Amino acid sequence: MTTKKMFLRPCTWVYLFLLSLTFVTWFIGVNNLSGRAFAFTVLGFALIKGQLIGDYFMGLKQVAGPWRWVIFVWLLLIGSLITAAFWKTL
Amino acid sequence: MTGMEKNRWPPGDLVIWIFIMAELLVFGVFFTAYAFTRAHNVELFDTYQLTLDRNAALINTLALITSSYFVVRAVADIRADDSRGCFRWLLAALGMGLLFLVVKGLEYKHHFSLGIDLSTNTFYMFYLSLTFFHFLHVVLGMVILLAVALKARKGGYSAAEHTGVETGASYWHMVDLVWMILFPLVYVMR
Repeated sequence: MTTKKMFLRPCTWVYLFLLSLTFVTWFIGVNNLSGRAFAFTVLGFALIKGQLIGDYFMGLKQVAGPWRWVIFVWLLLIGSLITAAFWKTL
Repeated sequence: MTGMEKNRWPPGDLVIWIFIMAELLVFGVFFTAYAFTRAHNVELFDTYQLTLDRNAALINTLALITSSYFVVRAVADIRADDSRGCFRWLLAALGMGLLFLVVKGLEYKHHFSLGIDLSTNTFYMFYLSLTFFHFLHVVLGMVILLAVALKARKGGYSAAEHTGVETGASYWHMVDLVWMILFPLVYVMR
């Protein structure tokens, strides 16, 4: 397999997976599904999507050291804060 | 990148990564402020969230993800020394960015036609300011991508030297990444 294909193949799968998670999120939203289960499912999807964009599209999966974790730490922080804020209200 | 060896530094100019970290910090503060303000105004936020157009948000999410993927293809092409392919994929990404701006603009037009503005209520204050702040980042990202595309068309990048393409790509992916949180947080979670 060429270097280009080795780079693009996982990115294409990630792209299709991102589209799938987006449609599920939209389905939950357009049907006004509410409550902890739905809210934290879509938040979880968003965090997964963010990590995949960081790892594959931004190329951080191929980076060693602290830069590898920039997106992960950001997602972990805001995911925790949003969860804390929503938890008691759902 | 072949997946064989790991790099010490992220793709593109290191300065853009400092900028990306600063941007993520600002958006993170915005998201947290939205979530905790909602916690004190649950009924208001849940009521007015229903007035948002989730179909428009879906189109915009698909547009940004697709544009990010097109930028990935542009990076793959320039790493293979294909400037023309790089240029074409960047143009396609710009097209998706333009679609985002048009759809978001139509959403704003609808809200403004109903007399909704920043002072209408706390929910709309957050919705309009957060999404418009992101809108401006899409515009800036498109300006960067356009500059990179024009240079690529002139053969300004090669497999050996394409830092500019990776720099623009990293910024554009950040704009996409932020929307991945904004979409469920503002349009869906309730």
